[in-house]
Amino acid sequence: MAQSNNSIKKILTVAFALCIVCSVIVSTAAVALRPLQQINQELDRKSNILSVANLYEEGMDVEERYQEAITPRVVDLRTGEYSEQHDPATYNAFEAASDPASGRTLSGDQDIAGLSRQEHFSTVYLVGNPDDPEQIILPIRGQGLWGLMRGYISLEGDGNTFVGITYYEHSETPGLGAEVNNPRWQAQWDGKQVFADAESLDPAISLVKGGASGETEVDALSGATLTSRGVTNMLQFWLSPEGFGEYLARFRSEVSAEEVQDTTVELESEGA
Amino acid sequence: MSAVTPKGVLTTPIFKNNPIALQILGICSALAVTTSMSVSLVMTLAVIFVTAFSSMFVSLIRHHIPSSIRIIVQMTIIASLVIVVDQILKAFAYEMSKQLSVFVGLIITNCIVMGRAEGFAMTNTPGLSFLDGVGNGLGYGFILMTVGFVRELLGSGSVFGFTVLQPVQDGGWYVPNGLLLLPPSAFFIIGLIIWALREMQPEQVEENEFKMKENTQPKEAV
Amino acid sequence: MGIRQTLDNLEPHFHKGGKYEKFYPLYEAVDTIFYSPPDVAKTTAHVRDGIDLKRIMITVWLCTFPAMFFGMWNAGWQANMAIADGFASMDGWREAITMLLAGGHDADSVWANFVLGATYFLPIYLVTFVVGGFWEVLFAVKRGHEVNEGFFVTSVLYALILPATIPLWQVALGITFGVVIGKEIFGGTGKNFLNPALTGRAFLYFAYPAQISGDAVWVAADGFTGATALSVAYQDGMAALSSQWNWWDAFLGFMPGSVGETSTLAIFIGAAVLLWTKIASWRIMLGCLIGLVAMSALLNLAGSETNPMFAMPWYWHLVVGGFAFGMVFMATDPVSASMTNPGRLIFGILIGVMTVLIRVVNPAFPEGIMLAILFANLFAPLIDHFFVQANIKRRMQRTGVPAEETA
Repeated sequence: MAQSNNSIKKILTVAFALCIVCSVIVSTAAVALRPLQQINQELDRKSNILSVANLYEEGMDVEERYQEAITPRVVDLRTGEYSEQHDPATYNAFEAASDPASGRTLSGDQDIAGLSRQEHFSTVYLVGNPDDPEQIILPIRGQGLWGLMRGYISLEGDGNTFVGITYYEHSETPGLGAEVNNPRWQAQWDGKQVFADAESLDPAISLVKGGASGETEVDALSGATLTSRGVTNMLQFWLSPEGFGEYLARFRSEVSAEEVQDTTVELESEGA
Repeated sequence: MSAVTPKGVLTTPIFKNNPIALQILGICSALAVTTSMSVSLVMTLAVIFVTAFSSMFVSLIRHHIPSSIRIIVQMTIIASLVIVVDQILKAFAYEMSKQLSVFVGLIITNCIVMGRAEGFAMTNTPGLSFLDGVGNGLGYGFILMTVGFVRELLGSGSVFGFTVLQPVQDGGWYVPNGLLLLPPSAFFIIGLIIWALREMQPEQVEENEFKMKENTQPKEAV
Repeated sequence: MGIRQTLDNLEPHFHKGGKYEKFYPLYEAVDTIFYSPPDVAKTTAHVRDGIDLKRIMITVWLCTFPAMFFGMWNAGWQANMAIADGFASMDGWREAITMLLAGGHDADSVWANFVLGATYFLPIYLVTFVVGGFWEVLFAVKRGHEVNEGFFVTSVLYALILPATIPLWQVALGITFGVVIGKEIFGGTGKNFLNPALTGRAFLYFAYPAQISGDAVWVAADGFTGATALSVAYQDGMAALSSQWNWWDAFLGFMPGSVGETSTLAIFIGAAVLLWTKIASWRIMLGCLIGLVAMSALLNLAGSETNPMFAMPWYWHLVVGGFAFGMVFMATDPVSASMTNPGRLIFGILIGVMTVLIRVVNPAFPEGIMLAILFANLFAPLIDHFFVQANIKRRMQRTGVPAEETA
């Protein structure tokens, strides 16, 4: 028995048969389960988007709520205009960044978030009426202490007021930097301002140690100086004209224009 | 080792011949996946499944495996099972598979599975091999769950995700121990478990590799 | 006469078969504090030296005194300065004692500073001593050997490298880990390959980093936040560091930090005694210095636009953080350091180089000396192994006979 087992013929037969059986099992499992897996991935992404917009509730139908509340759009970061070039459902900004045709290399001074490459087009998610959204959800990413952090921020329709922030991928120290996903920390972002005044294009939002004061400051993560700095840097990058600054200006100019009109009306009425 | 009985192969690996605590196998995943109990539990189930079925399949075809390629054959069977488990987790327990990330895939390299296939299944009947796989998986799981319990309770103040000790960050009183959230802490805990096990079962203590020389007699000096 | 008699009367109870047989180690410990042990070598060719383990340990203990007393004053001074700047003082029993003994928070009064500092340091030391001593005695009783004096040194060193404001329960946890995991499970004094005091500190460092990593500084005034010198340098560069403290401040120790580590001068006074009595190895200290100077000079040369720590010169590295304390008291621990003479030099250099590397290049840890020493501890047996093997080879060439037969 042992001898015949070790004949070349037997070895080849066993190896071949085993390969066939195993590959059939593995590929069946992979193919049969793929649709389910893709749905899971999509659901995961969608529930992250819903939760940054404070629309997520435990046990809700994520798919239905997402379809009804959220409209994804692709934005050209260079001009701030919407682009019809890419389909928002399939466009992958992360891959586009590394392709020379659809992204650019950032030089040292520009690259405060430590990205090294940035895409030309990015997907934004609008809550409510796409032409006059209640919330604008932007994807952000950048270096934390140990590696790349990826997440979403949500701003109100004025393009200036924070609703929330969430990270779906990071490798920060548990208990310190990883507290970026602590709901108590996330809660304090609500109502914070990105810009110090209406004209400025430089984001003022930052994390400060030991008690935030003012509209553009948020408490830093305690004991995680470098993660906090990473978060500040990536916000300042993505909200500046290098990132979504041009795009956000659309919403902000509308708001500030209205405000200007309001004040003139008041002045006139007072004068009269 | 005790006689090969169904009950024996199922229970000895838990305390008497624990794959982690005595044979020091499968340590890597025990460090990586034990930050919370629910993750440890899923990992345990995955390992029990893979060890049990790989042992059974290897044992089924043990008379036909050419000895020159037997390791490759075992590897192929184990790898196929692991991929299946990984795919199933991704499809039905996505959250869990995200937390386990690569470590499900790394069951392939878990020495326990290989060790049982090569050391037991090659010479025993399929039924016994299956039980042996389950037993070793349970032994692995016992350590994993213990480590997971300590790490989750003291590291994040909860058990299976339910808060037991309200941490300071959430307005409670308990200051979580950050060390226990880092993988090396599992080394200390496993070390302490081994200490306790050997204290209870002194026959597990290894012989000294060498003995210190007694002081030389003072006869030369006189 | 009284003590000897009392001890002699008690002694039979602790011998085999006596009532307190189990507690012989405790009896022995007390007895040898007062009298030299009865079991001395009687044969002729035996090295006779006035120094034994106990005396070595007590000398080291005394050598920490300058740093300890300065540290207590400084902890109080830092707090009183902050209070003078308008921060509230901490409430509780510490405040009550300070008020009772010093009558206020006067930063100019040496006594007021000292008392305030002492109310922080002494409880830390006491907790260390009681908790660590408990484990020490427990293992001694269980294993049936004597209590080792090494713990005197471990406890004082451990207490000195903690920040004044650390919660006392953390002190207790840290020393437990240091003594049990760092020393006892390897067989107790003389068999540990890590420095137990540093092991305890490292445990706290990773377990409770928010309190101890030097990010939010340890000044005993309510709501006061700042950063240790190293964090300042790391975040804002050398200019910010030297505008806040000048080099002499740092050398003399007028800056916040762990209790015993701030004053390089006070530490060097202890170092002088240690070197003069030949208790500490000058080779290790020299090695540390060489490593520090060489590595920081190299990084100064290399330079970096984004990392201001690259520009920190060696004489600053020497006076900020815990480098001086680690070099003098921790690296020279005779058990966990290298044993061969050339090995000691290499061991020291490794510590110096690693300290600077961790301080400068690693983004997460502002202080490097603790990890550097623990790291070098792990390498000490390997370093020794190479030198011992080299010796054996040379001897073989010279004599042609293996070492054992000529010994």
